[in-house]
Amino acid sequence: MKWKKLGKIFDPTQYILPNNCVQFAKSPQVLVFDDFVRIYFSTCELEISNGKYLSHIAFVDMSKNLHDIIRVSDKPVIPLGELGCFDEHGIFPMNVVRYGNVIYGYTTGWNRRVSVSVDTAIGLVESYDEGLSFQRLANGPILAASLNEPNLVCDAFVKVFDGVFHMWYIFGTGWKRLSTDAVPDRTYKIGHAVSTDGINWEKEESLQIIANRLGKDESQALPTVIQIDGSYHMFFCYRQSFDFRTNKDRGYRIGHAWSDDLVTWTRDDDNPVFDVSLGDWDSDMQCYPHVFECNGNIYLLYNGNEFGRYGFGLAVLER
Amino acid sequence: MFKWKKLGKVFTPQEVEGRIWLKEFAQAPATLVFDDFVRVYFSCRPPADNNGQYVSYSAFVDLDRKNLFNMFRVSDQPILKLGGLGEFDEFGTYPVSVIRNRDEVRAYYGGWTRCESVPFNVAIGMATSLDGGETFNKLGSGPILSYSPDEPFVLSGPKIRRFDDIWYLWYIAGRKWKMVDGRAEPVYKIRMASSLDGINWNKLNKDLIDSRIEEDEAQASPDVFYANGKYHMFFCYRYSHHYRSNEKGYRIGYASSTNLIDWLRDDTKAGIDVSGEGWDSEMISYPHVFELDENIYIAYLGNQVGRYGFGLAVLDGKLM
Repeated sequence: MKWKKLGKIFDPTQYILPNNCVQFAKSPQVLVFDDFVRIYFSTCELEISNGKYLSHIAFVDMSKNLHDIIRVSDKPVIPLGELGCFDEHGIFPMNVVRYGNVIYGYTTGWNRRVSVSVDTAIGLVESYDEGLSFQRLANGPILAASLNEPNLVCDAFVKVFDGVFHMWYIFGTGWKRLSTDAVPDRTYKIGHAVSTDGINWEKEESLQIIANRLGKDESQALPTVIQIDGSYHMFFCYRQSFDFRTNKDRGYRIGHAWSDDLVTWTRDDDNPVFDVSLGDWDSDMQCYPHVFECNGNIYLLYNGNEFGRYGFGLAVLER
Repeated sequence: MFKWKKLGKVFTPQEVEGRIWLKEFAQAPATLVFDDFVRVYFSCRPPADNNGQYVSYSAFVDLDRKNLFNMFRVSDQPILKLGGLGEFDEFGTYPVSVIRNRDEVRAYYGGWTRCESVPFNVAIGMATSLDGGETFNKLGSGPILSYSPDEPFVLSGPKIRRFDDIWYLWYIAGRKWKMVDGRAEPVYKIRMASSLDGINWNKLNKDLIDSRIEEDEAQASPDVFYANGKYHMFFCYRYSHHYRSNEKGYRIGYASSTNLIDWLRDDTKAGIDVSGEGWDSEMISYPHVFELDENIYIAYLGNQVGRYGFGLAVLDGKLM
């Protein structure tokens, strides 16, 4: 198997987005319709008062050639959470799952802290208008910190296999300062939870399911899973936990693991390999992968340099 | 109405010397009875930092079983360390509720973190002691009871009990943050969870106590005691705004139940109110009921939510 890169397909700076968002189209994730593909992403509003970003969900509808843009959302898809709630300061990312006549959105809500920058938890929203807008079931999260997952529970990806809801997500293993004057950075790993209804979840508490490649300070994020020829394949991104934002040798890359039983995963980043292109929009960083099937092809959406400040691109699997 | 005879303030944190972490406050008393003494856990604070921010610790004082106004000792150290960077209990371990379980003592506590848009958030952690409740080790670096759809923030005030081999945790869960004079004030309600092992919990997801003084009444310290065929809950409640005053501050309420789930509130039975003057003249809060040598006592906080310590009253009659 081999990924063939098709280039950047969406640049948020070329469109007028809701909520005064001007840059970023992070973590593209799809809802496939009969005649178009809706791609949700997180875009950013700059809070003038403090210079911090608020992430909002928006979408772009593309024709099934994944090239022509039909429209960009002109209204907010979900309002941010209320004062003091887990998703008050942003929603990034959101994974959408069609189930019966409802579309579930599994959100990651961000709320700002004082000693560290944020904490996160996973929420559930529902859409009954084909994904144009989503409503919360409640103000609190469906998956949050627990005894051995002390913080940063986020990045849910949900898929139903054999009648069981599976969620792959990440959990923080702790905040650390590289040096005494540095801002704290976090490390996180990929975990797994199951559910019979998509609402009430049972975690495999603190069980890291994907082996480290970069040692224990490797951060793993945004798992996405697809079945190919009877095996399960997970794509995710990974990086060093420190000095990863601008040092391209330590930034995000796309990782891969496979499993025959959804229990044991074998990490194999080199098959299919995801090349680093030189001098292009994704030359320094590749992150936030989302794998999906459309028109008989398996595609991978992902972000490039600067965590998707200038959009996302696409690759297609060649077999 | 129950008849409580006030015995006065029994512990004053300002009188304790040589402990930098114990300057003021002795909040949320919780007892563990020993052969010769009663250990009363409480939560206290060192001086505020340069920004006026507090951290809180929990500690204990041992009181002479024969005369609760005779103090044996105060713990040399807090019973729990604060959590690590970014952990749920980085800035406070308050309040604490203790229970014996075979050879160990378990502590359930509120862990405090600081937030940007609201002052704090709280989740409930657990720790165990193998030395009779002198020192505790946390079960993990995260909480055992955390945020969920209907309990979005501020899970605090745990009270651990065990009836018929089932573990029960009464606690409070935040309902909303209300802006009052530019300050975010939390509204919380009394909730319950049950467990077979005291570690994995099933939330009931129900408000146990009807709100009485206003819809946004805040309720705290749900202290449950079994006597004479029913369950008695003493708790405290306050207005959602301007509650740092006599008029809108904490009072002690009462409810009873026969099945632990359906509670009938009747504050007129509580039988304990603010005094005309003295240390508990403005507010009374954080009740804890315990039995000792055939007497029923209630420990509680006075003015400024226990800044100057806690006191005791003894029941004249029975909890019926």
